Amino acid sequence: MGNAVNKRVGGFLHAFFGARRWRKLWLFFALIGPGIITSNVDNDAGGITTYSLAGADYGLSLLWTLIPITGVLIVIQEMCARMGVVSGKGLSDLIRERFGARITFYLMIALFLTNLGNTISEFAGIAASMEIFGVSRYISVPVSAAFVWWLVVKGNYKSVEKVFLFACVIYFSYIISGFMGNPDWSAVGSAFLTPVFRMDAGFLAMVVALVGTTIAPWMQFYLQSSVVDKGLKADDYPFTRLDVIFGSVMVNVIAFFIILLCAMTLFKNGIRIESAVDAAQALAPLAGQYAALLFAFGLLNASLFAASILPISTAYTICEAFGWESSLDRKFLQAPQFYSLYTLMIFLGAGIILMPDMPLIRIMFYSQVINGALLPVILVFMLLLVNDKRIMGKYVNGPIMNGISWFTVAVLTLLSLAMIFFSLLGT
Amino acid sequence: MANMIPNQHNSELFIFFSQLLGEKIIDPRGNSVGRLLDLIVNIDETYPHVTGAMLRLEKNRKIRLFSSQGFYFTDGHFTASFADDDLPPDKELAASELMLKEALLDKQVVDTDGAKIRRVNDLQFLIANNELYLVHVDVGFHGLLRRVGLKTLFGFVLRALFDYEMSDQLISWKFVQMISSPDLLQLTIAQNRLGQLHPADLADIIEDLDIHQRKAVFNALDVETAAETLEETDPKVQVSLIEGLSTEDASDIIEEMSLSEAADLLGDLSPEKVEGILNEMEKDAADDMKELLAHPEEKAGGLMTTAYPSFSPNCTVAEALQAIRADADDLDLIYYSYVVDEQEHILGVVSLRELLAAEPEAALSGIMDTRVIFVNVEEKKGQIADDFFKYGLQAIPVVDDDEQLKGVILFKNLLEVIAAKLGR
Repeated sequence: MGNAVNKRVGGFLHAFFGARRWRKLWLFFALIGPGIITSNVDNDAGGITTYSLAGADYGLSLLWTLIPITGVLIVIQEMCARMGVVSGKGLSDLIRERFGARITFYLMIALFLTNLGNTISEFAGIAASMEIFGVSRYISVPVSAAFVWWLVVKGNYKSVEKVFLFACVIYFSYIISGFMGNPDWSAVGSAFLTPVFRMDAGFLAMVVALVGTTIAPWMQFYLQSSVVDKGLKADDYPFTRLDVIFGSVMVNVIAFFIILLCAMTLFKNGIRIESAVDAAQALAPLAGQYAALLFAFGLLNASLFAASILPISTAYTICEAFGWESSLDRKFLQAPQFYSLYTLMIFLGAGIILMPDMPLIRIMFYSQVINGALLPVILVFMLLLVNDKRIMGKYVNGPIMNGISWFTVAVLTLLSLAMIFFSLLGT
Repeated sequence: MANMIPNQHNSELFIFFSQLLGEKIIDPRGNSVGRLLDLIVNIDETYPHVTGAMLRLEKNRKIRLFSSQGFYFTDGHFTASFADDDLPPDKELAASELMLKEALLDKQVVDTDGAKIRRVNDLQFLIANNELYLVHVDVGFHGLLRRVGLKTLFGFVLRALFDYEMSDQLISWKFVQMISSPDLLQLTIAQNRLGQLHPADLADIIEDLDIHQRKAVFNALDVETAAETLEETDPKVQVSLIEGLSTEDASDIIEEMSLSEAADLLGDLSPEKVEGILNEMEKDAADDMKELLAHPEEKAGGLMTTAYPSFSPNCTVAEALQAIRADADDLDLIYYSYVVDEQEHILGVVSLRELLAAEPEAALSGIMDTRVIFVNVEEKKGQIADDFFKYGLQAIPVVDDDEQLKGVILFKNLLEVIAAKLGR
């Protein structure tokens, strides 16, 4: 049936665009997904909190950072997607084969802990945003954990991807709520295009956090695996690259509107917030009830979205590295490690939120620190791999690309170290 | 180690690759020649024996290959028979030789016994006559911990907490098929072990591999196995495998497939590719294929095959059996024979059991069952599945609006619809 529909749509496009062009357009729609989804998952509970704080505390003055951040995100993700397309292997697979068991083992432990921390913060995001809608966390968290489980265990890659692509559309709620804040566009334009830099610790820490929340270690594994999962080939690469660029731009457009909204309302009125949920609540009297609800709804969507992807991506990555069965097509006993890891992530992620007196802020903070510490390591492995002729053949980085990426890695490493430093200083 | 009768102690019969890697190689005067980086084996043998080693020299840090004639193995260590200032010439790698660490360690292999893809954590050698033979591949968690250096710690914790003793998960080398690089597969084609696998298992394995390994493994299969495997593979993977082949190779494989499976596959390929493949095929087969391709996949016409036996009513049992025997290789169905008139209208059906039980000279019209259950070419999958259930058939004939026999649907080709009904 799907085929018949495809043919009908194809016929329409054919008549409209002419043979060659429609083929290209159709191919693009068939091949997009991994880049857009990965980037958008990155706008998770932690990301939205960071953007809200950036806007609320520093107004429009940090908007310009989104331009270089978008560039860096494109550079990093392009390499991952290229490795996936050319080698046909996931990142943890390549790391294991090139760097051996010992390095991979410790790397996977670090990745598990980081992703567990992130998952906890996603469930915290779900709990908090549902509480705005008047639903107790003792209902929302177990229900969403069950939903996440069901979605992934019962779905296949194709259907799950469609759900995820739909979730990406919901991010537009932030754009709408951004407009509801009645921004002063000329001020926004000049703030966006004129970099402001201040040498105080708070400002620097915020810049670091913005970069850190946009480029996370797990994304590289997830992006590469989903490119491989989709069965993309080297011929498809131009489309994959477009997908990555489109995704990277989209995620930062959303970030732009979150910062904008919080700057135009909270910063202007001198309101201090601690979290994304504070932002949503504080928005009501300033931007209207609907803007606040849209903001909270966006947070719920983002948290749920990331909570669906993180556990499954982690389980896949680890099983791939250790050679364990890792397919949802298999029964529990045929893939015990895979299901155990997956279950453990959801169980701990949701369970810890429900325990009374859990220091959630501290957990999120430490997961952020490990995130930051792990990122440079992963990036160095990636660069070594992407320059390995035996793996990449003629698709290795060119000298210009290498220059840009090593520079990027150096800057990110410095920023990550700075973030860890500031975070530790903050406690 | 001062063990007087080493060969009676089990652990001294075997040694792991990870225990050897990085070891110092000592010469007769007690000087260190260098450290062991990799071992070379000859994989043409059933249990490959070590034919050389890669060392990083002690004195100038250079990496060199040596033939195993310069080494002997005693008490769990390699000893060089040459002195560190009198090195033998570099070893050249023969076509049947490979470097173990580079080709196997941490890589994926197929375990043909368990029909699974495994990742190699370690290799185990048998020690015999001061030589090493590769006998086992270690794919277990225990082996992984040994590589990581946490075996003792984990072992202690598991024993203390759960009274659980970890054990090695070893696969005999006899059941290991290397897949890590396309060249390797070519190299081992002489002892290709993929043929030992059931096509359905092979299909599962191929689906789990990455694109390049898929291609390599698929190309290493003979035409018949390739066709059988392709029938069991996911349609998306089928398409990518066939599109990677030349038109000629593709048509060879497709001709070996059952008609209805082949038609489904062609239906998913690009029109240009299909045209090329049909041109390469024999005319009769190509005509049959074109007829099947004209029907939509989800209706009876798209599910049926045209390779079935049919006879006129006055044909005798002996003639029918003779004809079936002659064509058996090309028939997708032999269990039922259909009796038709000159205009191909169905008159009756005879099962193979009935043919075997009847007198050879009896006419088919005398023994056929005239209450034939059939479906129209436009019938949908669900209804056909219901008919299969209701009448307990192995195959259902398909007729057009004039009730002319067009083809037959095999029970097998509806399995995916039925499996869905059974809640799979």
